[in-house]
Amino acid sequence: MVGWESIQVKLKEYMVAFLILEALVIQVFCVMDLLLFYIFFEGVLIPMFLIIGIFGSRERKIHAAYQFFLYTLLGSVFMLLAIIVIYFEVGTTDLSVLLTTSFSPEKQKILWIAFFASFAVKIPMVPVHIWLPEAHVEAPTAGSVILAGILLKLGGYGFLRFSIPMFPDATVYFTPLVYTMSVIAVIYTSLTTLRQIDLKKIIAYSSVAHMGFVTLGLFSLNVQGIEGAILLMLSHGLVASALFLCVGVLYDRHHTRLIKYYGGVAQTMPIFASLFLFFILGNLSLPGTSSFIGEFLVLTGIFQSNTTITFLASTGIILGAAYSIWLYNRVAFGPLTTEYIQIYTDITRRELYIFSPFVFLILLMGIYPEIFLNPMHSSVTHLIESIQA
Amino acid sequence: MNFTQLFENDILSIFPETFLSIAILALLVFGVIYTKQSKTENNHANSLSLMNTVAWLCILSIFLTILLLINQPFANITFLQNLLVKDSLTLFVKITMLLSCVGCFLISFNYLKEEKIDSFEYNVLILLATLGMMLLVSSYDLISMYLAIELQSLSLYVLAAFQRNTEQSTEAGLKYFLLGAFSSGILLFGCSLIYGFTGSTNFGELLKLLSNVSDKGLPMSGIAIGLIFIITALLFKLAAAPFHMWAPDVYEGAPTSVTAFFVIVPKIAVMGLLARICLQIFAEFSAEWQDILIFSAALSMLIGSITGLYQNRIKRLLAYSAIGHVGYILIGLVTGSLLGLQALLVYLVIYIIMSLNMFGIILALRKTKHPSGQSKAITFLNDLKQLAYHQPLTAVMLTLSLFSMAGIPPLAGFYSKWYIFSAAINAQLYALALLGVLTSVIGSVYYIRIIRIMYFDRTIQDSPNTIQPIYQPIAFESSFLISLTTFLLLVFSLYPSPLFLMTHKAALALCF
Repeated sequence: MVGWESIQVKLKEYMVAFLILEALVIQVFCVMDLLLFYIFFEGVLIPMFLIIGIFGSRERKIHAAYQFFLYTLLGSVFMLLAIIVIYFEVGTTDLSVLLTTSFSPEKQKILWIAFFASFAVKIPMVPVHIWLPEAHVEAPTAGSVILAGILLKLGGYGFLRFSIPMFPDATVYFTPLVYTMSVIAVIYTSLTTLRQIDLKKIIAYSSVAHMGFVTLGLFSLNVQGIEGAILLMLSHGLVASALFLCVGVLYDRHHTRLIKYYGGVAQTMPIFASLFLFFILGNLSLPGTSSFIGEFLVLTGIFQSNTTITFLASTGIILGAAYSIWLYNRVAFGPLTTEYIQIYTDITRRELYIFSPFVFLILLMGIYPEIFLNPMHSSVTHLIESIQA
Repeated sequence: MNFTQLFENDILSIFPETFLSIAILALLVFGVIYTKQSKTENNHANSLSLMNTVAWLCILSIFLTILLLINQPFANITFLQNLLVKDSLTLFVKITMLLSCVGCFLISFNYLKEEKIDSFEYNVLILLATLGMMLLVSSYDLISMYLAIELQSLSLYVLAAFQRNTEQSTEAGLKYFLLGAFSSGILLFGCSLIYGFTGSTNFGELLKLLSNVSDKGLPMSGIAIGLIFIITALLFKLAAAPFHMWAPDVYEGAPTSVTAFFVIVPKIAVMGLLARICLQIFAEFSAEWQDILIFSAALSMLIGSITGLYQNRIKRLLAYSAIGHVGYILIGLVTGSLLGLQALLVYLVIYIIMSLNMFGIILALRKTKHPSGQSKAITFLNDLKQLAYHQPLTAVMLTLSLFSMAGIPPLAGFYSKWYIFSAAINAQLYALALLGVLTSVIGSVYYIRIIRIMYFDRTIQDSPNTIQPIYQPIAFESSFLISLTTFLLLVFSLYPSPLFLMTHKAALALCF
C-alpha cells in the first residue's frame, strides 16, 4: 500500500517480488529442518535483490543491491558447508534430532563460527554491517520496511533457533566476543548516526544499534535477556518500519531525503508530526512503548552476567535518545524551509490507515507486554535449561 | 566368435546404435536426393524446408533411439567381443545425452533460419556426433574408445566451422581441429602405453589385471603414466583447466546453436567415460588421478569464476561459466565415492537444463532494425540492456536461469551444488569444498551482472524518445523448450527424488 503513488512502472513485478518475499520469509520462520531453513534464508536474496535494484531511487541502488547480495551470500556459504558437515555427522538435518545430539567442543566452535558468519552478516553486526545503510537508503519505502522489519530478524532468529541450542559450549565460549561486537555496534553506530544527513541512513544506523542490543540480550543466556531480545526484535520491527514509513511519506511528497531541506513540518503537517513523534519516542525506548520493555529486560539480563557491558550498553540508550530527538527536532520543529519546499500536504487517509496498526501494536506491547511474553516463557525457559545442562 | 552369440546378444544389444546409424545414412540420402543444385532465391526456401524436415526427422529418430534404449533386452552386458558395454550408467548417460540433443535441435530452428544456414548436413552431423558419443559411453576397450572419440570429434570440428562465410567460424573450426587432433594424439599415446605395459586394451581384462594389483609384478608407474595421458586428453575434450584455452575462442566463433551443442552434450559423454575409467578400471590408481583431478577441478573453478568477470560478450561468458561448471563436476569425480558419482550425474542433468535454458534464450532473442531488415543476434552483454522492459517474460526466465547457475536456493542449481559439496565433505576434501563455495560466490557476480543489465539502469534518459530495440517474436519450439526448462528449474526443489533415484541406480552400475 505504501507504494501506491510512487511505483509507476513494473507494478506487476513489484507485487510478485513482494509476495514471493513474504512467502519465503514465512517459510523461514516455520521450518524445523536445517537445510530447508538455509534454502529459504538464502532464497530471500533473490526478490530483495530485485526489489532494491529495480525500484530504488538513485544510481547508487545498483551498488547497494550488489553489496547486499554479495555480503549475504559470502556469509551464508560458510553456513552451507557447516550444514553439510553436520549432516554427515548426524545423518539428518531435522532440528528435533539435531537438538539432542552433542558435538565435541572443538567441532562446536568451528561450526558455531560458520553459522555466526552467516547470521552476523544478516543481523548485521559490526564490522559486516556496511551493506545495511546502503540497502536501506536505496530501497523503495516498502522494501526498507520489509528489510528492517523482517529480514534483520532472520539473523536473530537463526541465532536463537540454531546456534544457541545446537552449540551450547561454543556459545558460552564465544559470548565475550559477541558482547564486545554488540557493544561496539551500539556505541559506534549511535555516534555515527549523529553525523548523517540522510533521513533513511539515520534510521538504518539506529537499526544496527537496536540489533546490537538484541544480540546482547540473546547471548546473556537467561530468561530476561532472551525474552527481552525477542521482544526488542518484535518492537524494533514495528518501530523501524514505522519510521521508514514516515520518511517515505516525506519522500513521496518532496523527493528528497536530506535533512537540510526539511524543517518545521509540525506547523504544516501536524498529524504527521505527531505520528512521527510517537515513533521517535518508540525508537528511543520511552517507557510506555514496546522498545522500553525490550531494552529494560535486555539490560536486566546482561546485568546478571556482566555489569561492565550493562554500563556500556546503557550509554547506548542515551546516545539513542540523542540522535532520535535531534532528528525529530531538525525535521519537525524550527522554522519552515520555504526556500526549498513551498507546498506541504498532510497525511492522506491511506497513509493514516497504514500507520494505525503500528501505533496500536507499539502501545499494546508497551503497556501490556504480557500478551507477547506469555507464549515465549515456556520455550525460552526450556532453551535455557537445555543450555545449562 | 560364436555365430549364435552374435545373433543372440550382439545384434540385440547394438540395436539402438545401429538404428541411429541407419537413420543418419537414410537422412543423408534423403537430403541429397531432395537438394537442388543451384542456390537461387527460390531454392533458398526449398533448402530451408528441407533443413526443417531433416531436423524434425532427426528429432524423431532420436526419440525412437531412446525408445529402443529404454527397452533394451539386457540390463548388463558386454558385447561385440567385449568391445562395448551396456549397464545402467550407459543407459542413463545415453538417455540424458539424447534428450539434450533434442533440446539442442529445438532451440536452433529459428537461429539457423535467421542466420541462413540452410544445409541439411548440419542436422546429420549433429546426429553423427551423438552416435559417436553414444559409442563413447558404451566403450569397453581402448580402441573403441578412441574410435568413438574420433567420430564425435570429427563431426564437431566440422560443425564448429559450419558458417563458412564468416572468418570467426572458420577460425574456430581450425582451432578446434588442431587442438582436438593434438589431444587425440595424446589419448592414443596413453592407450599405447597402457597396452604396452599390460598387454591388453580391453577394459574388462584391465579390470581383472589391475584390481588387487599389489602382488602382481606389474610396472605400476608405466601404467600410471599411460593413465595420466588418457586423463589429460579427456580433460582437453571437456575444456577443463589447465587445458581450457581453446574453449572460449571456439565457443565464441562457432555458430551459437553449435556452441549450445558443445556446451551441453559432449560433456555428458566424456564425463561418463571418465567416470568409468577412473572409478572402475583404474580405481587402484586413485592416488595418481585424484591429485590431477583435484588440481584441474580447483583451477577450473577459479578460472571459470575469475576470468568470467572480465567478459563483455555473452558466448565467451558462457564458455567461462561452462569451464567453471566442469570444475564443480570434477569435484564429484575426485571424491571417488558412490555419493560423488551420484552428485556428478545430478549436477550434469541440472547443468544441462540450465544451459538449454540460457542458450535457448540467447538464440531466440534477435533484434530487428526495421520491418523488412536483417535481424541481429545478441553478441555483447549490453545488447541485453533493459530487456525487462521490452520482453518481460523472457527476462524473468533468464533471471531464474541465471540465479540457478549462481547456485541460489530454492532453484535447482543450488541442489546440484549442495550435492557436490556434500560429496566433497564426505570424502574429507574440505579445502576443495571451501574453494568451491568461494568461487561460487565470485562467479555469481557475473550472473547477477546480467540481471542488473536487464533490470536496473533505467534512468530518466530512457524515456520513450530513445530508440527502443524491437525483438523478433520467439519461435514456438524455442519457447516450448525455454518454458519447460524454467519449469523444471523451479519445481525441482519440490520433487527431486526421481532424479536422485535414477542417478543412484546409474552410479551403482560402476560398483558391482
